[in-house]
Amino acid sequence: MSKEIRFGKKIKREFFATPMSSFVTILFASLLLYILYFVLNWGVFNATWGGDSADICRQEGAKSGACWTVVKVRWRLILFGLYPYEEQWRSALACLAILITVVLSCLPSFWSGKKLAITWGVGFATFYVLMKGGVFGLPVVVERDWGGLSLTVFIFSSVAMIGMPLSIIFALMRRSKLPLISKPMALMIDVTRSLPLLSIMFTAAVVIPFVLPEWLLGDKLYRLIFGFSVFFAAYQAEIIRGGFQAVSPGQEEAANALGLNYWQTLWRVMLPQVFKAALPPTINQFVITFKETSLVVLIGFFEILASGAAAFGTAEWKFAYKEVYVFVGLIFFVFVFSLSRYGAYLERRLNVDKA
Amino acid sequence: MNSSQDAAVEIINMNKYYGAFHALKDINLTIRKGEKVVVCGPSGSGKSTMIRCINRLEEHQDGTINVMGTELNDNLDNIDEIRREAGMVFQHFNLFPHMTVLENCVLAPMLVRKQSRADTEKTAMEFLEKVKIPQQAEKYPGQLSGGQQQRVAIARALCMRPEIMLFDEPTSALDPEMISEVLDVMVSLAEDGMTMICVTHEMGFARKVADRVIFMDNGEIVEENEPNAFFDNPTNERTKTFLSQVLGH
Repeated sequence: MSKEIRFGKKIKREFFATPMSSFVTILFASLLLYILYFVLNWGVFNATWGGDSADICRQEGAKSGACWTVVKVRWRLILFGLYPYEEQWRSALACLAILITVVLSCLPSFWSGKKLAITWGVGFATFYVLMKGGVFGLPVVVERDWGGLSLTVFIFSSVAMIGMPLSIIFALMRRSKLPLISKPMALMIDVTRSLPLLSIMFTAAVVIPFVLPEWLLGDKLYRLIFGFSVFFAAYQAEIIRGGFQAVSPGQEEAANALGLNYWQTLWRVMLPQVFKAALPPTINQFVITFKETSLVVLIGFFEILASGAAAFGTAEWKFAYKEVYVFVGLIFFVFVFSLSRYGAYLERRLNVDKA
Repeated sequence: MNSSQDAAVEIINMNKYYGAFHALKDINLTIRKGEKVVVCGPSGSGKSTMIRCINRLEEHQDGTINVMGTELNDNLDNIDEIRREAGMVFQHFNLFPHMTVLENCVLAPMLVRKQSRADTEKTAMEFLEKVKIPQQAEKYPGQLSGGQQQRVAIARALCMRPEIMLFDEPTSALDPEMISEVLDVMVSLAEDGMTMICVTHEMGFARKVADRVIFMDNGEIVEENEPNAFFDNPTNERTKTFLSQVLGH
């Protein structure tokens, strides 16, 4: 049987098996095509691409679709927020430094404590020097003025870097045989999870300054990242605890019987299996965290969604909010989709035991 | 010769409780170096619990356990010492699924005995030869049959060069056609003079290899004897009932 005929038979079996099934197939296929027609008309065929001001989209005889001119004219505001215009190359390089750091630490050949520590150390130092300045003749840009994509990526990767080790520590304490350790930890996790992220961010950014001495405070941004990390770790700790429960008790017994100590058993035998079992919900948690970075705007930071809002926040461009949101949405999509694909790759890679 | 110097494992008046449940009652048992002992009994009789007390996978509450002259107590150094000297093979193999067969074998000698990778790999290949599975060294446990996995588990335990081997129902989770390949390895290990304590229902193995058979029921050692006398002339009623059940068909 030829490939085409087999394909035809498969289509028939799956989509046109009964009159009802044929009806549903045709109904939803037409609906999809109808929506696609509108989206393409708006976004591509009837869209305006050129020009230097909003007038080109609003004058007599302008095309009826999207006005991508807003992205063309205002993209630097969207990507870099309030960062000083002449210094935005620094923000771009800093963002690149963090992205390279994240990509490198996703590569299995970098999975050793030393390599990761060096990568993250160099990556974050580069980011900080470029963003903040004050050395090598770079003018100082205070944290308040950081914004856009660099800020989003910085907050996300910092939360991941601080939150992941923290979550392992939380999970181990939660599993401790000593009630004096496990009970308070369980309470702390439950309390943290029962609070909205926003209230934790407010507490870290606004309330803590009334409690701590000034020399301990650091910038509002770092307090916020710390609070966000604790919130992340509380959720992630429960995911890791679930991973521990998925590993058969025989594994720990075998390691003990061979004479491995607690840390050897943990690092060499348990955690690799725990992470494998916990991988799908862990990727989920990372995706949620990436999207939750948008909440920092409420504490006064212009991450990419907020700087996008600023891009259509003038009288000239206020009609073009759809285009800006689609653009920012695409950026979010690229990041989240990459995360998902990386998760799928890891799952395949870790699946050796079922080969 | 002094009996305690000659002893590989000495259990004196040992008791074990799970909460209010009295799991092991006044266990007294001495196993000489080089001796092969088979422990049998109905399920729930405490035989697995007893063997797991020997390397502290279970904690005993009362009495004394000495392994190769080291007392098993809360001293972590003693526990580590005993676990280095006593290898264990489990019913469900418990190989580490994320490591190859070879990595499973070299992990403990490298981490615990601090030997070099080259040395441990050489030792590991020797023991994989011994269990007749060297060609599978680079495979993952999930790619092997149950019998092969259990033979790897035996090799993994041997790589620590233990003085004593503890077997906790090593063939109970295997398909029938794979039992003999594991028993063959255990027989050859016995012929090399290894001290062995085996919890098993394989009565043919017990008759062939054991110096002594111990019957447990209800947390107690009910009867012990050399195999021929044990199987042909059991004295206790509970032993007779048990033997008629396992040998009857």
